[in-house]
Amino acid sequence: MGFKEYVGKRTLHGVVTIFLAVTLNFILFRIMPGDPTRAVSGDPRVDTATRLALIAKFGLDRPLFEQYFIYLYNLLRGELGISFVQIGRPVIDIILGRKMVNTIILMGSSMFIAFILGIVVGVFAAWRRGTRIDISFIVISLATYSMPVFWFGMLLLLFFSYYINIFPIAGTITPGLVHPNFLAYAKDYLHHLMAPMITLGVSFFGGYFLFMRDTILDVFTEDYMLTARAKGLSDRKILFKHAMRNALLPMVSLMGVHVTFLISGATMTETVFSWDGLGRLIYDSVRNNDYPVLQGIFLFMAVLVVVASILSDVVNAFLDPRIKEAVD
Amino acid sequence: MAQESLTKGSLRRERFSTSVRRFRGFWALYRQSRIGMFGLFLVLSFVAVALAAPWVAPYDPRALVGKPFERPGEDHVLGTDQVGRDIYSQLIWGSRVSLMVGLFASAFSVAIGTAIGLVSGYLRGPIDTVMMRITDLFITLPNIPLMLILAAIIGRSVWNIILVIAVTGWTGTARMVRAQTLSIKERPYVEAARSVGARDSQIMFRHILPNIIPLIFANAIVGIVNAILAESGLSFLGLGDPTKPSWGLILRHANEVGAMATGRLWFIIPPGICIMLIAIGFAFSSYSLDQILNPRLRERRG
Amino acid sequence: MPVLEIHDLVTNYVTPQGNVDAVSRISFTVEEGQTFGLAGESGCGKTTAAMSIMGLLPSNGRVMGGQIILDGEDLLKKDEKELRKIRWKKMSIVFQGAMNALNPVLNVGEQISEVILEKEEITRNDAMDRVRELFDLVEIEPSRIVDYPHEFSGGMRQRVMIAMALACHPKLVIADEPITALDVIVQNQILDLMKDLQGKLNLSQILITHDLSVIAETCDKVGIMYAGKLVEYAEAGPVFKTPLHPYTSALIGAYPSIVGEKKTLNFIPGSPPNLINPPTGCRFHPRCPYAKDVCSREEPGYVEEEPGHYAACHFVTELRDRLRLEDRR
Repeated sequence: MGFKEYVGKRTLHGVVTIFLAVTLNFILFRIMPGDPTRAVSGDPRVDTATRLALIAKFGLDRPLFEQYFIYLYNLLRGELGISFVQIGRPVIDIILGRKMVNTIILMGSSMFIAFILGIVVGVFAAWRRGTRIDISFIVISLATYSMPVFWFGMLLLLFFSYYINIFPIAGTITPGLVHPNFLAYAKDYLHHLMAPMITLGVSFFGGYFLFMRDTILDVFTEDYMLTARAKGLSDRKILFKHAMRNALLPMVSLMGVHVTFLISGATMTETVFSWDGLGRLIYDSVRNNDYPVLQGIFLFMAVLVVVASILSDVVNAFLDPRIKEAVD
Repeated sequence: MAQESLTKGSLRRERFSTSVRRFRGFWALYRQSRIGMFGLFLVLSFVAVALAAPWVAPYDPRALVGKPFERPGEDHVLGTDQVGRDIYSQLIWGSRVSLMVGLFASAFSVAIGTAIGLVSGYLRGPIDTVMMRITDLFITLPNIPLMLILAAIIGRSVWNIILVIAVTGWTGTARMVRAQTLSIKERPYVEAARSVGARDSQIMFRHILPNIIPLIFANAIVGIVNAILAESGLSFLGLGDPTKPSWGLILRHANEVGAMATGRLWFIIPPGICIMLIAIGFAFSSYSLDQILNPRLRERRG
Repeated sequence: MPVLEIHDLVTNYVTPQGNVDAVSRISFTVEEGQTFGLAGESGCGKTTAAMSIMGLLPSNGRVMGGQIILDGEDLLKKDEKELRKIRWKKMSIVFQGAMNALNPVLNVGEQISEVILEKEEITRNDAMDRVRELFDLVEIEPSRIVDYPHEFSGGMRQRVMIAMALACHPKLVIADEPITALDVIVQNQILDLMKDLQGKLNLSQILITHDLSVIAETCDKVGIMYAGKLVEYAEAGPVFKTPLHPYTSALIGAYPSIVGEKKTLNFIPGSPPNLINPPTGCRFHPRCPYAKDVCSREEPGYVEEEPGHYAACHFVTELRDRLRLEDRR
């Protein structure tokens, strides 16, 4: 099948998966013990008028089966319910706003840095296998892999915020400060982004490094590497043109799988650094039992993971000429 | 040797002694790895501490035995937390939670993954497709939101944590087992077994599964590392059992009272070090295991 | 001047079990425009010899002594940087089983042109033109230079490898079991192609194989290797008509003639020796039907029984008639 067909097929799989996730979401929140409508409207913080409106909107007095379809219909219209904590504020507003941007910036930048560093260092370590540099990086990676993300963040804060003041202690920007222009704002923001980004990035670096190194070592055993040597090509060409291109393929697939862990990692990082994003929102919503928001985030994340997974598969297919021809 | 009768019993005995021999050879190889032995040492140390907790811990971890935020001193080796509980005792008892969650969650997740991967890879067809879609679904489930949903529904407990980690973690094993099954299925001896009339279940369990067991085992150990880290994360976020001392829980308290901003080292550093050490222990062991069991890695040494 | 002269080449592999004496003092010459066949069982050292020439030994392989003189220069005296310049420009190699010898993520045109561009001052377009010419030469549709390796069949991939080996007009081409991995009909096609190219381009080649019939068809001179030693060395005709070494004779005898009478297959009993502790004296003596006492004590030197025809055996003269007779039996 051609490339386009592959993308189409993959997207279809993704849609099916999202659909399943949506259904799972529905089931989980509806099977909570006690008043089945509690998830949406039963919280005592919601006043009667709102509650009645919610019951009407979500058809909570109708049989479960009908509720399901109303739920789906509402979803498609972007109607995710109303927050318990921020009374009256639609969940979808809370999610698709400032917080989402903050989280995406954090996740994106950390992943990017971890990936690039992991690849470059991984290739280098594989090439200089067994040397002190190689072994040191392996040890560093195993150490950071074994470290809980949030603890590393806490250490960073302890040492580089409390003892030596390099990083700010919390938030995305200095509270109360009025920025004269966008540049100043960006600077402040980036300054606050440093520590959480390093934390999340470091937690992923180890995995990427070890995987890349492993993959490249595997590639080295392939026959075409001997051919490349036989052709008298330079070391750099052999490494980057011949070896790395082949090793990148599994790495890209790995990234797709990692998004889930990225979400968990981001949650914990945001909690430690009080970074105003979706992760922190989860933490707060758990404390406050704000179920509609939790449900909304759950959905958002499912979509995010599926999209990332489709993207990584598509990129993989694009890079690997063999897949374009292969049937599933 | 020539005239031994091939009874079921004698075959079983021979298979057993072969396994023992193989294990001894494997152990000899493992002993050579310093990384592996160090890892094993760490693991066993924590297991010892966990088992001996009631006798080794100086205080009841849940009791208020001192003033809040006491610095490390004679009475309390690592000081006290924000309400006056002894941190050192909490650390000792916390090892139980970590080990329990690590071992059980990993075992369940590997069991589920292996079952699904084996069946899916062997039977193929519509069953395979359905199972793969389900696997895709479970890959997308991040454990944190799922955990809090479960916490809301059934309450907070260690077993819930184990359940959630297992339920969100089996997909990796499933995929690997399925891939292995697909390739082993094509091997001549499987075809031979089928032509002799072996049942599907026999082929799966007697022929395919034994070949995958080493890789499954390696996977399981890595799973333990992930489970322990996941448990600490979930406890940190407040999704664990607040009545059971756990390292993640200690760190949660530390975070809540802003211990970083007030420089309370003893509150922050020891629990993290414990998590790290136990994770490193399992990670190192799994690294050595992988070196021994993975044939491609052996080939590379040439 | 000969294109390649090998003098007393010794190559070892260092293994945990000990030193493997893989190539033990072999010498031969390849003249210009000649095809030299290096034949022998698996593990006899022929590939090791090829890798020693190219400088592509694995990390535990070491050339312990001898000379490899390519176009007048001793390759063993060169460092890696110089060798890299020489590789593919003066000597190239066609590997066995091009299945994996080509990089799957680069198209074939790219893989061939990259080495041309690396070795010569030439524009990209001109390099691609040459690739097209090469494809023409090996009878592949020139428009296929943008295709990927997996889009070619086994035989076609081998043609691509051949085209690639010829890309920089090397003085010497080494072909290591070039057709062994292919099925029989394709084998013939590739063999014809190679003979054709040999004639057209006046190539100097070393053809490495265990298949004597291939050697008989294509080679001018032959060296028979056993257990790291060169046991017989002569022009192709004499080697096959009048083999002078018991091993050669046995090897030839193991190939049934399609026109001859039906007979049971002769095989050589035993298996090739362990080269960490090779047999004393003549390395073939444990399996040789004519072995005597001296064979296990002294290593035989080369006896030039006929002009240009050498054999390493203590009893060359005594055995020459018997060997011929045995073969015809």
